[in-house]
Amino acid sequence: MERAGHLPGLSADAVGWRTLTFRRGAETLDVAVPVLSEAQIAELAARVRTNARTYLRRRTVAEIAAIIDRAVARLLDRDDPWRQKAERLLPLVTGYDAEMVRLGLTGYLKTFRGPELRKFIAEDFANPALLDDFQPMPKGGFARAFGPELLLHVWAGNVPGLPLWSLISGLLVKAGTVGKLPSAEPLFAGWFAQILAEIDPELAGCIAIVWWKGGDEAAERAWLTRADTVVAYGGNDALEAIRARVPITTRFLPYGHKISFAMVARSALDAGKAGVVARQAAYDVARYDQQGCYSPQTFFVERGGRVSPREFAGYLAHELDALGSKFPRRPLSMGEAGSVASWRNAEETKGFADPGRALLGDPAGSWAVAYTDAADGLSPCGLNRTVTVVAVDRLADAVPGLAPYRAFLQTVGIAAAPEELFALAGALGAVGVTRLCALGRMTAPEAGWHHDGRFNLLDLVTMTEIEGSAERAADAFAPYTD
Amino acid sequence: MLALQKVCPDVTEARLVEDLLAFIAAGEADEEAFNRMALAVFAHQFETNAPYRRFATQRARTLRTVKSWRDVPAVPISAFKDLTLSGRPPEECPHVFMTSGTTKGVRGKSHHPTLAVYDRSMTVNFRRRFMANPYGGDHDRLRMGILFPTEQAMPNSSLAHYLALARSEFGTADSRYFVSDAGLDVDGAIAALSRAEETGEPYALLGASFSVVHLMDALAERGRSFALPTGSRILDTGGFKGQSREMAAEEFYGRLSATFGVPRRLCINMYGMTELSTQFYDDGNETCPSVKSGPHWIRSRVINPLTGQEVPRGSVGVLVHHDLAHFNCASAILTEDAGVEVEGGFQLLGRADGTDAKGCSMAVEDFLKAARAS
Repeated sequence: MERAGHLPGLSADAVGWRTLTFRRGAETLDVAVPVLSEAQIAELAARVRTNARTYLRRRTVAEIAAIIDRAVARLLDRDDPWRQKAERLLPLVTGYDAEMVRLGLTGYLKTFRGPELRKFIAEDFANPALLDDFQPMPKGGFARAFGPELLLHVWAGNVPGLPLWSLISGLLVKAGTVGKLPSAEPLFAGWFAQILAEIDPELAGCIAIVWWKGGDEAAERAWLTRADTVVAYGGNDALEAIRARVPITTRFLPYGHKISFAMVARSALDAGKAGVVARQAAYDVARYDQQGCYSPQTFFVERGGRVSPREFAGYLAHELDALGSKFPRRPLSMGEAGSVASWRNAEETKGFADPGRALLGDPAGSWAVAYTDAADGLSPCGLNRTVTVVAVDRLADAVPGLAPYRAFLQTVGIAAAPEELFALAGALGAVGVTRLCALGRMTAPEAGWHHDGRFNLLDLVTMTEIEGSAERAADAFAPYTD
Repeated sequence: MLALQKVCPDVTEARLVEDLLAFIAAGEADEEAFNRMALAVFAHQFETNAPYRRFATQRARTLRTVKSWRDVPAVPISAFKDLTLSGRPPEECPHVFMTSGTTKGVRGKSHHPTLAVYDRSMTVNFRRRFMANPYGGDHDRLRMGILFPTEQAMPNSSLAHYLALARSEFGTADSRYFVSDAGLDVDGAIAALSRAEETGEPYALLGASFSVVHLMDALAERGRSFALPTGSRILDTGGFKGQSREMAAEEFYGRLSATFGVPRRLCINMYGMTELSTQFYDDGNETCPSVKSGPHWIRSRVINPLTGQEVPRGSVGVLVHHDLAHFNCASAILTEDAGVEVEGGFQLLGRADGTDAKGCSMAVEDFLKAARAS
């Protein structure tokens, strides 16, 4: 039995616990998640708020970053008991391949080391001291950025460690933090808070990691009405339900599900380069089995290279097959298997009537590549290592068809020469794409990434300004005034 | 024999129809008999139905390699939207059943050159599963109320045809429909139900699950409930949108029984599909999910949809049906229904789709919704 969450000031005996059971093959893990009464919610919210006011607010952002860095260092240390626990339990909970989880954690956590955290802050604040004290402004006067006193995160999904992104963003703006664990991966965020507690108990007192059952209106409302700002992840239906319960005076920052895709220019399709490109592309597909919003679902591949789009589909299939033995796909639920099967069946059926289509896949169904000559636009695949390769004369031809999906576009993995890259970037940005990256890097955004084009830290703060007039007027009341 | 089929498809089709009617009439079929009939149907479909032949060949299932009914390749029901799966040219088929609207607006079609087999399949099975008198003997006819449009109003609905057949073959002359262009005839239904209460003769209410819900809502609004005479029964079909199926079913049958005074063991759910010519029934819904089963000319398997392999007995998988009565299209179909094999049949566990997706990657359903909205 593993206890999830982090409840400063509440004794474990005083709260209710509910067991979530995770199975992988013969292994079973029971995770106890906390179920709080309304009174306990009120108490915890008040405590986190007070602690943030009295402790976090008084630390400098550099001090906070240093503590986070120490916690991240422990998670990167393979001899550390926390890291070992994460490597042992996360594959069991999420179903992902253990080696993939291990590599993924390291790659991800690296982006939260000290220097990376400074980049994070610098991305949003040219002068990070704004977070610590009033700073002179070019227009005159002074300003200081205040984070919310109580920031509520509603996390979702099973990609290991994902909650860390917003949790750390919140801490960097000195927000008292309450995070709702995702039922699909209810461990990591609580562990991080507990590591912080070992390093700096006072800081950890400004964080509560809680749980309620998705759709539990009473619990959700109790938290939502107590927060100053709410960051929420999930499908649009879930987000809409949350938004309906957020008071109008509360800032609401939703991160909905997104779709990402890739583009391969003919300049990347000579015999020497195409294999490498396909390997990187396959890695983006296989990593976390396409569960991430940054995972590619369609590949637009340009005609006219030495390697044709159809051949590229074959390369990609080959690489997916190879990755499948190195990092096997996690076992699918019957519903997920059904989705993959119905996508594959539909692609196969289309192929009967159209010789310009092909479906490549292994008999066990652990991956599939659909190829089409037709001018198909972006389309979601069956996830879990299924992709469509769409042949296009020019990559730019694919762009107009993206416009209807503006609100859902996110990452484009791209293999193209510099000129093409910048030309496409303009067109893609104009239809709503917010991130372009190299193939092979789609699932590993840089430190300081503007998630969905937004500002990780700036979106959380409010500015308090001392206008020049106040400053000048103050002079008149100074003891030294003549 | 194959040569003959090529030369004269109509003759072989007529013979197949005869064989199927005899097969249904036989009352039972052991593994060997089912196999023999299944292989004959497969041979017919393979020979006469080019898209199906392509589909089967792609899976290396040919007349040579298919040795048992289990080897007959199952067509995913989504394929009925993209392919014309008909042995006879569609223009020679007077009856076309279509699925109701789908997310993409394309409707799956099942072509029937004749309804002789469909109708026999329906009536033989219906008599056994719905008309049985729990107090001994069968009812020849019951007074029926039907909560669905007529066959004339919905000529391409297999359910409308099914219910029309129920009424003409098993209903009394004063059986009637309570759904028309004007909507649900609540007053008419109340009058019929009251009359049944007065006469004491068993009454049968049949229709789409959602229409039954509408009627119950309307009755609740008027504070009406009934105690239908002993032997009365209810047939619903189609299931309910939203909510998880088990929860909804439990609630639905509880309410059904309370509203009409029909014991839950006489509240029967029919599971049918446009892509089939045979229906499954349960023996009432005292407990949910109930156990569904079909007659001897249909067999079901529970498979892993990705590998096509059967799952171990008792595990959840996706249902494949081998319906020999669906001779003109594809007798083996791969559904999108999750199920589990149990003693005496299978339990339906809702749809096997990606509703439990784990990540923040956009799935097909959401995408389509977005596409429609924009």
